[in-house]
Amino acid sequence: MKMRTPLAWFNLTHKRQRLLTALAGVAFAVVLMFIFKGFENALYDSQVQLLKALNGDIIIVNRIKTSMFIPEKFARRRLYQAEAFEGVDAAYPLYTTTADWKNPDTKKIRPLRVLAFNLSDPVLPLPEILAKRSALQMPRTAMVDSKSRSEVGSLAIGTVTEVAKQEVRLVGTFPLGTDFTSGNGNVVMSDQNFVRYFSNLGPDDDERNLNTVDIGLLKLAPGANASALIQTLTQRLPIDILIYSKEDFINKELAYWKENTNIGFVFSLLTVMSFFVGVIIVYQILYTDVAEHWAEYATLKAMGYSNFFLLTVVIQQAVFMGLLGFLPGFLISFGLYRVTADATGLLMQMTTLRALNTLVATVIMCLISGAIAVRKVQSTDPAEVFGT
Amino acid sequence: MSHLSNDLPSDSPHFSSEEIAVSVRHLDYYYGQGDLRKQVLYDINLELSKGQIVIMTGPSGSGKTTLLTLIGALRFLQEGSLNVLGQELVGLSKSELVEVRRNIGFIFQAHNLFDSLTASQNVEMAVEVLQDWGNKRQRAVEMLAQVGLAERVDYKPKALSGGQKQRVAIARALVNQPSLILADEPTAALDKQSGRDVVTLMQTLAKEQGCTILMVTHDNRILDVADRIVNLVDGHLESDQNFTAFSQTHDPKALV
Ligand SMILES: Nc1ncnc2c1ncn2[C@@H]1O[C@H](COP(=O)(O)OP(=O)(O)OP(=O)(O)O)[C@@H](O)[C@H]1O
Ligand SMILES: [Mg+2]
Repeated sequence: MKMRTPLAWFNLTHKRQRLLTALAGVAFAVVLMFIFKGFENALYDSQVQLLKALNGDIIIVNRIKTSMFIPEKFARRRLYQAEAFEGVDAAYPLYTTTADWKNPDTKKIRPLRVLAFNLSDPVLPLPEILAKRSALQMPRTAMVDSKSRSEVGSLAIGTVTEVAKQEVRLVGTFPLGTDFTSGNGNVVMSDQNFVRYFSNLGPDDDERNLNTVDIGLLKLAPGANASALIQTLTQRLPIDILIYSKEDFINKELAYWKENTNIGFVFSLLTVMSFFVGVIIVYQILYTDVAEHWAEYATLKAMGYSNFFLLTVVIQQAVFMGLLGFLPGFLISFGLYRVTADATGLLMQMTTLRALNTLVATVIMCLISGAIAVRKVQSTDPAEVFGT
Repeated sequence: MSHLSNDLPSDSPHFSSEEIAVSVRHLDYYYGQGDLRKQVLYDINLELSKGQIVIMTGPSGSGKTTLLTLIGALRFLQEGSLNVLGQELVGLSKSELVEVRRNIGFIFQAHNLFDSLTASQNVEMAVEVLQDWGNKRQRAVEMLAQVGLAERVDYKPKALSGGQKQRVAIARALVNQPSLILADEPTAALDKQSGRDVVTLMQTLAKEQGCTILMVTHDNRILDVADRIVNLVDGHLESDQNFTAFSQTHDPKALV
């Protein structure tokens, strides 16, 4: 027993009702922060879920394709040129376009994003797609994103409907999810079918062939240095393309949406407001506790305890509250993320980093409250406890 | 009433060669600033010799608590001279005052125990202020045993009677063996018997530890424990005598 009496802990825990209220208050703020941050993250995460699913270490796009939103293509021979460099194992072209999709149930037309590639290239290696490679070889077949908006209509295998005003037969679904560029959902087809549908469109439309590529993917040989290779490729290939590591490309895409939409800002603001709601709740609880014990704290001062000691007691109490309240808040948020994701199709992801960030925010929140509440203790005059 | 015997100091305030615990000289004290400045203590001169039990009485508002808090290093002082346990308090900084307090045991009318801590833990908090960790529990338990609470060391205040709580507060004040104990109406919240017990206990422990006690009280049933009784009226120290002399000159009913 060489320890100080853990006064902060005893003060916090000895009234069960008070403790539960305190933890509920902290947990409430934690849940608010998680939910608003979750919506904000979902918004941005969903913008890059396709990019994350693509199987490439290096991404090549047209120099002026500053975001996935911009439909600029580059010459396919750049990919062949890149493939010749030492350290590049394979180069895959990905063709994308926006196409009208007829809802098989309502016959209404909706825009979808078409993703097409050579089926022998593992461009989008989702197990659902890999399993249907031979079916996709058949002319005028496609798979549709099962997380598409409901406006796309029923997606049962064998459904026959129209894409770009031409007949298409569904051979299955895969889970990906929508983003700002995808319209109502995604369609996957072979590059051969892509040519079938989009090479002979009317004069108003953008005719497609396999000589221009929307996104190029490079696979690196084991042990190849990605950043050195990107530098070499950038120097040696013509300047009509830009070459990124996959991670950089994803970050650039995220930055584009963060700069060009303010809905993210709204959610950031709500998150910050939740933080301050938490500060107020925790402050109220701590202040009440400190005010109730002012005579005891003043007695400690009379006994020779310093203001600094009392500060550490209140701060410890605040930190304990933060840590204990975070746990239920986290668990509730985790459940709410699941429920929200299931109900809305939003990409609500709880990552370790995000959980840790919110934990840190929670502790800081409690520290601020503690720092304000402690002024009450510091101003208590030990002389005042006499004669009361 | 064994303490009513005649073994009190024969004639009151002569401490000549004895060691002095507290020495107050020409002390004035004011509350407030500017126009609101109000003097509450006037030219107080008082010496408490070591080991004495001194009771301070006086009408309400006469300045007893004020004087006690000044001696207890709980207030800033600019004028006069106030020497406590060999340390001049006038002009000391706040942190220096905090140091002085560590040698003083305070007992208040309210027990001011943390209701989240057991009796022992409340007492241990006092031991810890001196950075003494090793045997704090043992010291707290021994002290609680001395105040007759050996069976109650792990009880929380809620489970203790008023008198028991005040005894825990006394244990807390005495556990560091302070040279000076300042008590402000320690029996006011207690019934007659508990009040008597608490005061007797303070007296016994003080005699054992040789510490000086200055106690403010309105309770004339406990005046007999005093070696000396000082009377404060309107901020002036009026009389200073032993119990026998005091009880002859004061109608007991007037003391309440
Ligand atoms: N903090 C303060 N600020 C201003 N005036 C005060 C303060 N504390 C006490 N006083 C005044 O100083 C005078 C002395 O008060 P003090 O508390 O010392 O009296 P007391 O003798 O202890 O009275 P009681 O027997 O009622 O406890 C009173 O007139 C009181 O109103
Ligand atoms: Mg008083």
